Amino acid sequence: MADTFTLHLKVWRQAGPDQDGKLVDYTVDNVNEHMSFLEMLDVLNEQIVAEGREEPIEFDYDCREGICGSCDLVINGRAHGPKAMTCTCQLHMRNYSDGDTIVIEPFRAKGFPVIKDLVVDRSAFDRIIEAGGYVSVRTGAAPDANSIPIEKSVADTAFDYATCIGCGACVAACPNSSASLFTGAKLAHLNRLPQGEPERKRRTVAMVEQMEKEGFGDCSNYAECEAVCPKGISISAIAEMRRNYMKAAFAGEEL
Amino acid sequence: MNLDSKVPSGPLEDKWSKHLKDIKLVAPNNKRKHDVIVVGTGLAGGSAAASLAELGYNVKSFCIQDSARRAHSIAAQGGINAAKNYPNDGDTIWRLFYDTIKGGDYRSRESNTYRLAQISNEIIDQAVAQGVPFAREYGGLLANRSFGGAQVSRTFYARGQTGQQLLLGAYQAMMRQVHDGKIEMYTRHEMLDLVMVGGKARGIVTRDLVSGEIQRWMADAVVLATGGYGNVFYLSTNAKNSNVTAAWRCHKRGAGFANPCYVQIHPTCIPVSGDYQSKLTLMSESLRNDGRVWVPKKKGDDRPPNDIPEEERYYYLEEKYPAFGNLVPRDVASRNAKIVCDKGMGVGPTGRAVYLDFRDAIKRDGRKTISEKYGNLFEMYENITGDNPYEVPMRIFPAVHYTMGGLWVDYNLMSNVPGLFVAGEANFSDHGANRLGASALMQGLSDGYFIIPYTVGNYLADAELDEIDTTHQAFDEAAANAQQHIDKLLGVQGDKSVIDFHRELGQIMWDKVGISRNEEGLKQAISEIQELREEFWQNVRVPGEAANYNKYLEFAGRVADFLELGELMARDALHRDESAGCHLREEHQSEEGEAIRNDEEYSYVAAWEFQGVNGQLQEELHKENLEFEFVELKQRSYK
Amino acid sequence: MASFLKALKSQVGRKLLTGITGLGLIIFIIFHLLGNLQLFGDAQAFNEYTYTLESLGWILYILEAGLVVAFLLHAYLGISIWLKRRRSRPNGYEKYQSKGGPSHQTWASRSMIFTGTVLLIFLVTHISTFKFGATETIMLNGHEARDLKTLVINTFQNPLYAFGYTAVMVLLGFHLGHGFWSAFTSLSMKHTQYSALIYSVGIVFAILMAVGFLFIPLYIYFAGPDAALISY
Repeated sequence: MADTFTLHLKVWRQAGPDQDGKLVDYTVDNVNEHMSFLEMLDVLNEQIVAEGREEPIEFDYDCREGICGSCDLVINGRAHGPKAMTCTCQLHMRNYSDGDTIVIEPFRAKGFPVIKDLVVDRSAFDRIIEAGGYVSVRTGAAPDANSIPIEKSVADTAFDYATCIGCGACVAACPNSSASLFTGAKLAHLNRLPQGEPERKRRTVAMVEQMEKEGFGDCSNYAECEAVCPKGISISAIAEMRRNYMKAAFAGEEL
Repeated sequence: MNLDSKVPSGPLEDKWSKHLKDIKLVAPNNKRKHDVIVVGTGLAGGSAAASLAELGYNVKSFCIQDSARRAHSIAAQGGINAAKNYPNDGDTIWRLFYDTIKGGDYRSRESNTYRLAQISNEIIDQAVAQGVPFAREYGGLLANRSFGGAQVSRTFYARGQTGQQLLLGAYQAMMRQVHDGKIEMYTRHEMLDLVMVGGKARGIVTRDLVSGEIQRWMADAVVLATGGYGNVFYLSTNAKNSNVTAAWRCHKRGAGFANPCYVQIHPTCIPVSGDYQSKLTLMSESLRNDGRVWVPKKKGDDRPPNDIPEEERYYYLEEKYPAFGNLVPRDVASRNAKIVCDKGMGVGPTGRAVYLDFRDAIKRDGRKTISEKYGNLFEMYENITGDNPYEVPMRIFPAVHYTMGGLWVDYNLMSNVPGLFVAGEANFSDHGANRLGASALMQGLSDGYFIIPYTVGNYLADAELDEIDTTHQAFDEAAANAQQHIDKLLGVQGDKSVIDFHRELGQIMWDKVGISRNEEGLKQAISEIQELREEFWQNVRVPGEAANYNKYLEFAGRVADFLELGELMARDALHRDESAGCHLREEHQSEEGEAIRNDEEYSYVAAWEFQGVNGQLQEELHKENLEFEFVELKQRSYK
Repeated sequence: MASFLKALKSQVGRKLLTGITGLGLIIFIIFHLLGNLQLFGDAQAFNEYTYTLESLGWILYILEAGLVVAFLLHAYLGISIWLKRRRSRPNGYEKYQSKGGPSHQTWASRSMIFTGTVLLIFLVTHISTFKFGATETIMLNGHEARDLKTLVINTFQNPLYAFGYTAVMVLLGFHLGHGFWSAFTSLSMKHTQYSALIYSVGIVFAILMAVGFLFIPLYIYFAGPDAALISY
């Protein structure tokens, strides 16, 4: 069993959407290097519940294996913490050492209002997909799967974009709170496939407009989103989105 | 309890097409008069909601996550089976059916399993049409791999994220219907009760997980697709929020719970590292295609794995099962890992792990090829354990993964409660006593896209439904019931944490209702669970308040249900005095530790009817006999 | 057409216009620098050059109008993006840092609004100093022309001007450091191996421009009005 160590946390506590929040100091002893970051917070919460003075810290999580996209902390100023291509749930405490101070904040953006403590509402992402992030095919209407050959590299690239887990780190880390990487990734997935081609223009325009309506900021090409994306999605997605959008607009697609 | 399976007569191949021919239809203008509630947005729930909405029903969809896209189907790694026979290796619908029913150790319905194999091909077509980026070959056609004990390559996959891609396909189909106003989506809502009017399921009661408000929802049919109950073991590969509550509350309203003891323990997971552990991470079993499983021959050999010479390594799966080798079905692989660890040959700090070694595969195919196949899994492993699997063998151990049991359903996927349909892992239907790899995605989507939309219509076409609204006394009663349960949880004000109770329950379940079971252990488990449940209601501490976002409260409600379910699982395991698939009774095994079935006495589905909880759980056993007209029952052998 | 105009007002359109105007301004400053370097040519090279420019007549007015539009549009878009940024995150982070790696978040990229604003203010003084500044009239190849060269040399004898210009040119370098690459990306350039190349080219370009521009005031200030490189 590895040695345990002590951490100092500054955790954002906010009772509700309209209340003011603040950073509150906590100390966690017995942190083990094999713990995940969320398990460390579990330990802290158990400590808080045992003491009974205040309510435990609320934070979102589910699969704890880096695929569901639920977990969403900003750790010492970085979405999902210091490691590249890693979700908070996959961040392990071996990345920290005894006596470290860690600031934990929620994902902050107008499009992601805080619900409580570190929990935010990311339903804006659902609405962006709702606007057009799909192929309109009815159940049962599909031709044989092999009737549409797709070049391997195209399929592979489509997958690279489709791997987005919708966690929102791109928005959280972007100095402008832009949702361009999220939106661009879904567009880049569907727009390059023959199945997605018939709706390419309509989809692109609709999703870009929805993204704007949700109050996300402009993309200034910082590429910070790519750096924090747990799936390493390239900002080429944003370039493609721009190209398809302007092409659709040139072609007179109704906006 | 009426357990009429409603399986159509006639040859196996024709049952489903005959049923579709006979099924009653709802006219398009009448569909929009029907409300259907779908609980859960995983593969089964998401695809069902989308397809029902496409047909014109008014769908209300509920999930506990903050988005429908986060349902736990998303975490399925390996793949989805279909009998396409694209690789030309002799696969047929019959063979997929046969493998599934044999893999399930002949404890599932022939008719359902055959239908699953038939529908499998349509699922692939549907997914591809939605833009699911399955792996492809250079010719541009779909790639297949062999998976989880199959001798043909029938598994379609999208790197190690097949579940994610299929779920996003279903989610996007759903979102399209949300956009069209045919689905009302309610996220962060937890179903707490089923509302029955006139003996039929007519609605649900939910808790808004943000505001804490108890809400009532009325419908003409309810589709439950809330997943499995593996988290009764506390540690499992399930997501933290996966739970049995919706299904269990339906059970308490009269829905039969079938085969609860059938729990699949997945052989390739990352071992437990400490008490703080909150979940176990699965490593896709596709790894067994190239990785070799071994332990040191010498007990307690603590040399680093790479220092142990070839002749001192025990490749126990390859030696015991030469035909299937490392690709034996999950139950066999898990049991053998336990056997070697029980003998003291386990590795790692706890001695509860075996090696999964890629050395030979890397030597044979090169690091690049292996990295292309498993790169993301290797990274994930290294991230969690700090070890690099290209250099040192992975350490793996079995973990609870999937529950074959679930609410009893007939051929239409309707429970014994009229109007309550159950789809996906939440039902018991297709996998018998053991599920084959890459079959869960197939079943979830088969149920949701291709069965539920027809059978719900069949029910609605001539269901006589009372004109009611949500002020009906049944809603009052269910809402009050849900509120009381919450108040009771908050009222205990004890001094033991919800997590401690859950962890203790999990330990009992793992030790005594886990990979192998025996009469004595099961009896102990039953009384220990009863005691723990008693203690829970006297001493649990649930912080916070009801009318707020309160994760501890959510978990408390779920743990309370697990504490009842756990007892039922142990009782079911105790009554099933045979070994079958994942249910290994130590009293019934061969000298080599193979399961020995008792087809004479136990070839049935055990459906339990809830009678009450009074210190002990009161449940009445009902049996649906399994008749095998088309396959011959054999003792499974993977030698 | 209506939809296209509407598209230009969208996030994508705004960045596209920012990129196009930015590239236009980049082309302008390249020529501006080349022109400035005429100071080090023949005795009257610089004044001949400015005379030629001014005698372009209506062509010059069109070019100048284009520049003004590009500049104002660029500034307007930049400011509106910055204002939107504030609205898009009303509550900022207590602690924030870049994750590095593929991120292009640098002091340069984070300070576009600052460097841009400084450049805007600078431009007003710059134009009033030189374009509308009082000059002697001299005879050049039989024409009357402004003696801008003397104005430049005299102006940069003032340390405030010399060092002020230098500081601003350093900021211009930073602005270009992010702007060059960003413009290509806004014009939908994909993030491939070329992107890294263009990013590097952008940095080199930014340094060249900054050094080129700031060399002039610094040289004139330190070398004095009779400096060796300048011929009379």
